[in-house]
Amino acid sequence: MGVPVRPLTVTEEIKKAKMPRRQKGPRKGLNYFFTKCREQKELLLMSIPFLLWLFVFKYLPLGGWVMAFQNFRPARGFFESDWVGFDQFKFLFQDQRFLEVMRNTLAMSIINLILGFVTAITLAVLLNELRQIGFKRIVQTISYMPHFLSWVVVAGLVSSALAMEDGIINVLLLNLGIIDQPIMFLGVGQYFWGIIGASDVWKSVGWNSIIYLAAITMIDQEQYEAAEIDGASRLQRIFYITLPGIRSVVVILMIMNIGYILESGFEAQYLLMNPLNMDYAENLDIFVLRYGISMANFSLATAAGMFKTVVSFIFLFAANKIAQKLGEARLF
Amino acid sequence: MFKKKSLSVLIFISFFMLLVACGGNDDQSTATNDNPTDAGEEGSTDPVTYHYFIGASGSDIHTNETEIGGMLEDETGVNFQMEYLVGDLMEKLGVMVAGGQYPDVVVPDHGIDMMLDADAFIPLNDLLEEHGQNILAMYDDYLDRFTMPDGNIYYIPFGPTINEFVPNPNIDQGAFWIQRGVLKEYDFPEINTLEEYFDVIKRYADENPQIDGMNTVPFTGLTYDTSFFTFSNVPNHLAGFPNDGGVMVDLDTHEASVYADSEYAKRYLQALNELNDGGYLDQEMFVMNTDDYLAKLSSGRVLGFFDYGWQFGQARVAIEDLGDPEKEYMALPVVLDESITDQYIDPPSFTQNRGVGITVSAENPERIIQYWDRLIQEDMQKLVMWGEEERHYSVDEDGRYYRTDEQVELAGDQDERRDVGMTVFEWNWPRLNGSFNDGNAVESRRQPEVASATYDEEDRVYLDAYGIQTFSELFSQPQDRPWYPAWSANIEQGSDVALFSERSEELTKRHYPRIVLANPTDFEDEWATFEEAYRNLDVDVYEEFFTNTVRERINGNWQFR
Amino acid sequence: MNLINRLKGKRRSVDDLIFDSINIVIMLLLVVVMLYPMLNTLAISLNTSTDTVRGGLRLLPREFTWYNYQHVFNEAQILRAGLTSVLRTVTGTILGVFASAMVAYTISRQHFFLKKFVTITFVMTMYMNAGLIPTYLLHRELGLIGSFWVYIFPTLIGVFNVIVIRSFIEGLPETLFESARMDGAGEFTQFFRIALPLALPVIATVSLFVAVGQWNQWFDVFIYNSSIPELSTLQYELMKVLSNSNAAFNSGAGAESAFAASQSGVIETVTPQSIRAAMTVVVSVPIIMVYPFLQKYFVKGLTIGGVKG
Repeated sequence: MGVPVRPLTVTEEIKKAKMPRRQKGPRKGLNYFFTKCREQKELLLMSIPFLLWLFVFKYLPLGGWVMAFQNFRPARGFFESDWVGFDQFKFLFQDQRFLEVMRNTLAMSIINLILGFVTAITLAVLLNELRQIGFKRIVQTISYMPHFLSWVVVAGLVSSALAMEDGIINVLLLNLGIIDQPIMFLGVGQYFWGIIGASDVWKSVGWNSIIYLAAITMIDQEQYEAAEIDGASRLQRIFYITLPGIRSVVVILMIMNIGYILESGFEAQYLLMNPLNMDYAENLDIFVLRYGISMANFSLATAAGMFKTVVSFIFLFAANKIAQKLGEARLF
Repeated sequence: MFKKKSLSVLIFISFFMLLVACGGNDDQSTATNDNPTDAGEEGSTDPVTYHYFIGASGSDIHTNETEIGGMLEDETGVNFQMEYLVGDLMEKLGVMVAGGQYPDVVVPDHGIDMMLDADAFIPLNDLLEEHGQNILAMYDDYLDRFTMPDGNIYYIPFGPTINEFVPNPNIDQGAFWIQRGVLKEYDFPEINTLEEYFDVIKRYADENPQIDGMNTVPFTGLTYDTSFFTFSNVPNHLAGFPNDGGVMVDLDTHEASVYADSEYAKRYLQALNELNDGGYLDQEMFVMNTDDYLAKLSSGRVLGFFDYGWQFGQARVAIEDLGDPEKEYMALPVVLDESITDQYIDPPSFTQNRGVGITVSAENPERIIQYWDRLIQEDMQKLVMWGEEERHYSVDEDGRYYRTDEQVELAGDQDERRDVGMTVFEWNWPRLNGSFNDGNAVESRRQPEVASATYDEEDRVYLDAYGIQTFSELFSQPQDRPWYPAWSANIEQGSDVALFSERSEELTKRHYPRIVLANPTDFEDEWATFEEAYRNLDVDVYEEFFTNTVRERINGNWQFR
Repeated sequence: MNLINRLKGKRRSVDDLIFDSINIVIMLLLVVVMLYPMLNTLAISLNTSTDTVRGGLRLLPREFTWYNYQHVFNEAQILRAGLTSVLRTVTGTILGVFASAMVAYTISRQHFFLKKFVTITFVMTMYMNAGLIPTYLLHRELGLIGSFWVYIFPTLIGVFNVIVIRSFIEGLPETLFESARMDGAGEFTQFFRIALPLALPVIATVSLFVAVGQWNQWFDVFIYNSSIPELSTLQYELMKVLSNSNAAFNSGAGAESAFAASQSGVIETVTPQSIRAAMTVVVSVPIIMVYPFLQKYFVKGLTIGGVKG
């Protein structure tokens, strides 16, 4: 149970390199384990009930994954459904659209990831630089309001903003003389990823920036005062105090989000998809909806879920390793 | 020390688990309170409430809160707590079946196979024999259509046609629609073919490039998401077939054949391609979502489009609200060639694979049957479909039902319909179609007298110009198709036939727009690409399945699997 | 003091001015872009649905009406469902944030010998999904179906939140904890007296996340408690009104009677678009109003320096 070696922080690691390791008693084995249990009983008390919760609510139902290898029918349950081996996976991977679906999934996911991080951090930093508390509060409150709109509403707004005749984007571009013919944005597949990215930013940048704002508050105010005395410019303060101050939070969030590499969103794509852009819009979740859930094929949905988990783990552990190698904060 | 610690951990854990368990049990009991526990004996009218789940959207209600439901409760003691679907049907039914806990009555809509597969419904034969003589009488001609191969009846479909079939005086199905002003402008021309239809639209668009300051949209259509069939079904209608699903069924040979890559489809797409080339096709036809589409129709600048009547009700209301009768739309029975007889109007149909069943969870199921048996009787059906005499309708000296202006208004008010119970009982319960014994239509909207009461002066101008009484008279009467509708075949989930449907839709979605928007010189190439891809699908399996279905049905065999 | 320094000061303030001006302009643009969808939704919710269908509404209603709100309030059991929503939001947030913080505290302790094990065990669950049916069966076994607690227990701990809280606690100066330990404080004391109060900004943030998640949730009501009106929530009630407004037009008879009635020109109808707008306003206003109370914790900025001494 567990790895009885405590991980070292970056600073400790440096220390470790410098001084020879002290050998103090057996560091492995049951004895060590029980000793530690006794020593840290309070921490155990604080974590074990929740580990139990985790086991019951998150790990126990994973037994249902067997249905990925079945032709599961709710009426028959797990024990009487037909076993089909890897057929569900084969169906998924061998579909001629699979590669295109994966391309779309990855592309939109990566675009959303990068855009999401850059915009949310920028917004948080800029908000932090506002001097007037009242203005700052108002801007911040307004900035996350779109988060409360459902995707149906947002998709409707996006669609009307991109309309050919009176869509605000086309009107703007025409008036500025950038184009001389209105563009049918939603009718060109190549624009789709960008539209999704932009819509996503619009809907969630304010909301996502909240966490960075909280992180900024944890930065020692004395640093700013000291910087001011040293005559640092605003940009310098941002680059030398604010950003390094939230760096570890950013890295941790980044690692977690890299694990979600195959979660490129669902509703936005589904709602903005049309016959002309479907080649760029269909992602894994939409594919699974069409051939899985809506055809009552729960097995295919489960198989796709397992596939996503495997990919997630690979990316997650890789990202964590890279962060570790670079001497950054890491997830575990 | 260690013991003490492990003890406290144990206590913590058990407390935690207790909390979980207790919380659950407490409310579990309130949940089952609603279930009939002591429904009493045979013929009892003790009050009891059953849980009635419907796999379609609607407004939750207790039936005894409605006037009709109140009357039925007085007679039978039975009340239903109606629950309508909010999220995804398959997910809801999936957990229901997997968990084995059912509401007392379920209308599983297109998830009926899952319920049957799980043996969730009880056989109704004996119950009907004993308590449901009226149901048996009304459904008499159709019983064999929903009797399963094992000889049992597990669910009751809706709307057997009794007495005479009455076609709808208004078009609620598919049609080519045209702005009425266009017809008036050219002195009410007779329009039968697609060519004539497009010609008149093009001419009007040329003469009126703008309507009310907005650019004229000569022709558009709905292609968004699951409504794509509104576009891909058109060739079938143009060829003179009703909506049988993905196939057209030959009247003589009864062969089913797909039409997605047929000559009809090609001709329609080519016509659209030319329309597009001339700048008459709405650029955004393949981009609009449903709201955008409805907005466009409502603006009064669209001259023509194909759609099913029930899909653009909101736009019709909005146009009506504009107060310009010439902006309203009229349905035309457009076909490809003069020689083709249009079949836009649905033949009498009975969807045998949808219905309502009583689940194994229901206690004293005979009380539900008794309730239904009362509901299916003519006097009750009149209340459901027409409302109360003198209040919602009147009877003339010949015994014909009609509605005055006030009655039209009252019977159309959503709140009134709900309070009377017209909304809740009109579908998803055993109910009738066709006409009552006194000759009046079961559905009030199908009664010509009611339809004419809703026609105003302007409507009459058009009716008179074409020499018709109701708008559907422009259309041909439905031919005899005893298998109709073929789409209600029992397609097994996940079967090759089901997969073909999904793939076929995907393929047409991808290719049709390209073909239409292609440069006319590329039209043939685009079409050939599509045709090839389409023929790579398992077309034969699909066609064979439907040919077989049609043949079996003609032989009176509706429930083969 | 001397000229150079004063010049330096001046240049800095000019830089500042430029920076501030640009920043304010960006923020104002942002306000416009972000406020528009809300105002548009508000306008739609206050416009007659028949007119809304025509499209083109921007910031102000063209044909003003309260009818959409009337309809929403008539159709849905707003008050009772609202109460359940508040109850689940409050309970879920308090229990959830407390539990997450406690787990976060344990894995923030460098010396905790199960730190890595616990962290990985928790993190992995973020990327695993058992699927609807197995989860349903588990909850049935636990007796959670038909219970209020199905809103609370299955989602008690958000792993994302745990990790976020952890990284904040790790950012607190270790000396604080050390001196507490010197004074004989156990882990519980350190958690309640040091970690929780000092991590208040992140606790506020996470509370907001959890509260909004709870408030907006309707799927668990749909799957587990849809037949029990007492346990329905605001979001679920509004989803019902919405799906019903779709249905009114999608059945032939309903649409036709609505059309016939509308010809007489008296009766107002509702459309999904209008209902959706009214519903968005009804559901988001309460939660948006909660925000300012939490906001003070992370907009102003705490001075940990003072505590650190």
